Amino acid sequence: MTASLLRREGLVPLLRDLAETLEVVAPILVDGSAVFATWRGEEPALKADNPLNSPVEFFLPKREVLFRYVQYSGRYTFAEEPPKARLIFGMRPCDLRALEVLDRLFGADIPDHPYLARRRSTVVVVLNCTTPGERCFCGFLGSGPAAVGGYDLLLTDLGRGYLVEAGSPAGVFILQAHRCHFEEPLPEDHLEKERLLAGAEEELRGRRPALSPEVLKRAIEETDWEVAGSRCLSCGGCSLVCPVCHCFTVIDQGVPDGERLRCRDSCTLAGFSRMTSGANPRPSLGERLRHWYLDKFVYIPEKTGLFGCVGCGRCSRVCLSDVDRWSLLREGPR
Amino acid sequence: MRETGRRADGRARRGGEGGWGGTDGYVPLQAEVVDIDVESTNTYLLSLRPIDDEDETVEVDYSPGQFLMVSVFGLGECPISIASSPTREPLQICVREAGRITQGMMAARVGDVLGIRGPFGNGFPVADMKDRNVAIAGGGSGFATLRSLINYIADHRDDYREVTVVYGARTPQDLYFTSEYGSWQAADIEVGITVDMMDASWKGNVGLVTSLLSEIDPAPGAAALCGPPMMIRAVAKDLLDRGFIEQEIYISLERHMKCGVGKCEHCTMGPYHVCTDGPIFSYDRVRDLI
Repeated sequence: MTASLLRREGLVPLLRDLAETLEVVAPILVDGSAVFATWRGEEPALKADNPLNSPVEFFLPKREVLFRYVQYSGRYTFAEEPPKARLIFGMRPCDLRALEVLDRLFGADIPDHPYLARRRSTVVVVLNCTTPGERCFCGFLGSGPAAVGGYDLLLTDLGRGYLVEAGSPAGVFILQAHRCHFEEPLPEDHLEKERLLAGAEEELRGRRPALSPEVLKRAIEETDWEVAGSRCLSCGGCSLVCPVCHCFTVIDQGVPDGERLRCRDSCTLAGFSRMTSGANPRPSLGERLRHWYLDKFVYIPEKTGLFGCVGCGRCSRVCLSDVDRWSLLREGPR
Repeated sequence: MRETGRRADGRARRGGEGGWGGTDGYVPLQAEVVDIDVESTNTYLLSLRPIDDEDETVEVDYSPGQFLMVSVFGLGECPISIASSPTREPLQICVREAGRITQGMMAARVGDVLGIRGPFGNGFPVADMKDRNVAIAGGGSGFATLRSLINYIADHRDDYREVTVVYGARTPQDLYFTSEYGSWQAADIEVGITVDMMDASWKGNVGLVTSLLSEIDPAPGAAALCGPPMMIRAVAKDLLDRGFIEQEIYISLERHMKCGVGKCEHCTMGPYHVCTDGPIFSYDRVRDLI
């Protein structure tokens, strides 16, 4: 599809134009760390590590109102809020893959309308990873460092500017409507993109040897999860930052009028599967951790054809016990 | 804000053959409580009239073994088995006092409304059970979902061969649907009842469901089970010894659930979502998971 070149100095003016009609979300520096947040005119932190909060939280928020209920003479009326029109700028290929996994899970059987409505009303602008983060291992899982589709616009940082490629009608529309910010790319720009991404791929390959799904499954079966779980603090942080994790709970707030809320949850928490009777199908930490891995590397692949882990490394970055999730699986607990 | 009330497709029909047509999102349908029966000291049978926003009755299609996500606005939502048979009006749920939400349901009076979503889940394979002997074994509150199946079979009695029901509860006061046993027997269904602890008034069996099975000796065929895991394992083993096969022993499972539509992950059991892959599983699929 169409490609253009965006000069570095053209980035903020382009975002300013886009922000006139859409809420723009971008990686922004807060106290030295990048976070995905509503963009308010600053220089986006595209050179920093992928933010610790995944952009998936703009599709499956930490807390969202499913609907409001209002009681009038013993009967209720319900109201849902339509999602905001949004553009997420600077999402990485791994997080885009996470959205593809969620599309398949949340679109299957009985569709999840709140998620799908947000997906439809959001423009996704992806940034290829030319310099992978320290804990990343996307190369092995096929979810990076380059995006191959599923984006509206795809950026690659070439140094002198960004090569911008459209992957959807919405992307083409943005390139055309805001063409004053773009210029024609040179043929060598495309070659430079390939060279940079090949370098990134090379670096990732040296970092993690590739393992087959069968080897992964065996590794999960052979791991002593009770020992592995002994280091876990059961804080649920890994699930909150994981772009594929989507466990949620539903609670009501307010009588007689109020809101039914959906809040993120984690299968690593002790009470997650506990029934009112007190019976708990996964009472030990080891069993819950084992389930976390089985879901990502066995069950989700069976359902969607894609791994439930995208190699973003956030779980290892956030872990209070400094458990490297990936090493835990490959080598057993240290 | 978009006022949704009831959507057009929700108004006409909910549910449908095999389970899930008609269910639309997280906004529930309202259901008026039209009757309340006391089944035991801590269990009520609520009769419901699903309604649209003009108070018109909405027909809900379901099959035995399916469940509803039932809400008390302000307290929340939880899964409850459908206790009535689709062959009979009204729609009924059996609510046992367990936590805040079920307490809220039991506080409802005739004329109040609850929220319902569903029906969800696969239900018992009533078509596959046709022309088979059917053994039904329940323990405790698990008997509610089996009552839906028993009444369904009673209303299609010619489709099934020998039908046996065994049911155990803790005490005589904990037995559900006592007024219906006679009608099942009249429909040529053998009924065996037992309790763990008897009282002065009790003249029936005392002991486990499995000992009652030995007495009744049901002929091999299809089986439907619901109850505490210990009972399920013991009864399944007993039935296998009698010549039943794992693929025909259907078990209704209970799990914590928040969505009912296979998304929230609370009810996962190995590779399955109990809400959408179940709640009815043949024993061979869940033998190592329960």
